Amino acid sequence: MGRPTIKEAAMKKTYGLIAAFDTVPALYHACEKVRDAGYSQWDTFTPFPVHGLDAAMGMRRSKVPRFSLAGGITGFFTGMGFIAWLGWVEYPLVVGGKPMFSPMFAFPVAYELTILFTAFATIGGMFLLNQLPMHYHPVLKAPQFVRAMDDRFYIVIEANDPKFNPAQTRALLEQAGGKDLAELDE
Amino acid sequence: MSAAPQSTAALAGKFLIAGLAGLAVTALGYFATGNQQGVALSYLVGVAYWTTVCIGMLLLILIHHITDAGWSTVIRRQYEHGISAFLWLGVLFIPLILSAWMNPGLVWPWMDLGHVLHGTHTVGEDPLYLKKAGFLSRNMFTGMTVAFFAIWIWLSARLRKASFAQDGDGDAKWTFMNRKTAAFGIPLTALALSFAAIYWMKSLEYHWFSTMYGVWFFANCVRAGLAFAVFITCWLYARGDYKGIFNTGHFHALVALAFAFVVFWAYVTFSQYFLIWNANVPEETFWYNIRETGDWWYIGMLLLFGHFFVPFLSWLVYRNKAERKPAAIISAWIAIIILVDLCYNVLPALKDTHGEPLPFLSINLLWVLSSVVGVGGICVWSYLKSFPTAKLIPIRDPRIVESLTHHPATASEPGAVPAAH
Repeated sequence: MGRPTIKEAAMKKTYGLIAAFDTVPALYHACEKVRDAGYSQWDTFTPFPVHGLDAAMGMRRSKVPRFSLAGGITGFFTGMGFIAWLGWVEYPLVVGGKPMFSPMFAFPVAYELTILFTAFATIGGMFLLNQLPMHYHPVLKAPQFVRAMDDRFYIVIEANDPKFNPAQTRALLEQAGGKDLAELDE
Repeated sequence: MSAAPQSTAALAGKFLIAGLAGLAVTALGYFATGNQQGVALSYLVGVAYWTTVCIGMLLLILIHHITDAGWSTVIRRQYEHGISAFLWLGVLFIPLILSAWMNPGLVWPWMDLGHVLHGTHTVGEDPLYLKKAGFLSRNMFTGMTVAFFAIWIWLSARLRKASFAQDGDGDAKWTFMNRKTAAFGIPLTALALSFAAIYWMKSLEYHWFSTMYGVWFFANCVRAGLAFAVFITCWLYARGDYKGIFNTGHFHALVALAFAFVVFWAYVTFSQYFLIWNANVPEETFWYNIRETGDWWYIGMLLLFGHFFVPFLSWLVYRNKAERKPAAIISAWIAIIILVDLCYNVLPALKDTHGEPLPFLSINLLWVLSSVVGVGGICVWSYLKSFPTAKLIPIRDPRIVESLTHHPATASEPGAVPAAH
C-alpha cells in the first residue's frame, strides 16, 4: 500500500476507541461502567451471546414491535378493505343470500393478511434497524479484532458519541479494565 | 427457600367456610325458592367453571412433561397442588347425577322422554333424539361422567405422587414416569374434556351440534388454568415465597402463553360461529338465534370484545406481560369472562313459558355466584391444604437448575419488575 498520500491522511477520521477484555465478567462490569458514564453510541463484540449483556449495556427493548404492529394493522384493513371493495364496488354478487359485504366472511382473509404483513414488517423493520447486511465495519481494520471470533471480548465507543473525548474515554476504558486500547479509523 | 414458610392453615379454613356457605346458599335456593331448574343449571355452571380451571392446570403439567420443558419447573408444583381438587369436584358433581336419576329432565331435557318439544311432540317421539338415544342415555351419561373424573383423579394422583416422591430421593425415574403419564394422559384428558363438554353443556340443546365444541372447551380450560397460575404466582411472590426463585423471565413466559391462548380461543370460537353462519343450516343456526334474543345479544358482544379484543390488545404491550399488576388485572378479567362464556353456553337452555330463553340478568346470576363461591371455596381449600405437604418447588427435579437460571428473554423496560436473581 505504501505511505498514505496527503489527501488520504487528511480524510482519515477517527471512528472510535476499541478496548479488549479477557473474560465475560470483566466485559460485563466494564459495560456497566460505560453505561453509567452516559455513553450512547457504543457497542460490544463477543464470540458468543452473553446473557444479560443488554441490561448491563442499558439497552432498551427493540423497536421492531412497532413495525410489526403497523404491519398488522395495515394487513387487517387491507384484507377487510379488499373484500369490501370487491363486494360493494367491483363485482357485487349475492352468494348464499349473504350481504354484499360482511366482516364475517372477510375475517379469514383479513387475519391472514394481518399475519403476513406483520411478518413482512417485522423482518423489514429488523433489517432497517440493525442495518444488515453490513459489508464493512471499521473494527475489521483492527488487527487484534480477529480474536472477537475466538476468545476475546471488545467494547468500541464511537467518536460521534456526544460524550466522546479522546483522553477521558481512554481513561474510562482503562480504568474499567480494558486492554490493548487502540483508535479505529473510519 | 429464602423466606420462612408461612402457614396456610388459617387461610384454608376461611376458604372452606366460604365454600360451605356458598353451597348452603345454593342448596337453600334449590329447596326453598321453587326455581329448581334455574338453581340446578347455575350449579352446573359453578361446577363446570372450577373443572375448567383444574383441567387447565392438569393439561399444563402434562404439556410440561411431554415437551420436557425447563422454564416452567418452578411453577409446576402449584398446578400439582391445584389438581388435588379433582376429587372434590367429583364429589360436588354427585348432586347433578342424583338429579338425573331422581328428577330426570330437570337439567338435561333429553333425560325426560315425556318432555314436550315446541308444544307438539315429546322427546320420546323425536327422531333426532331416537337416532342419538344410544349416546344420550342416563346410563351412558352417568358412566361417562364417572369415567371423566376417574381419569382426571387417577392422572392427578400419578403426577402428584411422582413429583412429590422425587423431592425425597431425587431419582430421575420419577421424571420418566411423569413423561409416560403425559404421553397417554394427553389423549385421555383431551377425550374426557371433549365428552364432558358434550354431555354436560352441549347436550342441553341436543338438536345442535358443533365439532368445535370440545376444542372451545379446551381453550377455556387452558386459559382458566393460566389465569389462576398468574394469581398463584403473584400471591406467592407478594408473600415472599418466590423471592429469588421466580423472575421476570418466568412471568413473561407464563403470560405470553396465556396471550397465545387468547388468540387460540378466538380462532376456535370464531370458526364455530363462522361455519354455522356461512352454512346457514337451521339445525345449527337456531343455537345462535336463541343467543341473539333479549340481553344475550349483548353477552355475545361482551364475549367477542371482552374475551378476545380486550386481553389481546392489552397483552400486545410488553409491560402488561412482564409486570405483575397489569398481568394479574387482565387475568382476573379473563377469569370472570370465562364464567360469562360458560353462562352463555348453559343458561339460555332455561326457557320461559313461550319457549324464549330467560334473560342473562336474572335471579339465576345469584345462584351462579353462590355456586362459584361454593365450589371455588372447596377447590381453593383443597389447593391450600395440599400446599404445605410438599416443597414450594420440585427441588430435585433434573430441570430445576435450568428453570432457576431461566433468563428474561429481553432486558426489562425501565420501571419493570427487576429480575430477581
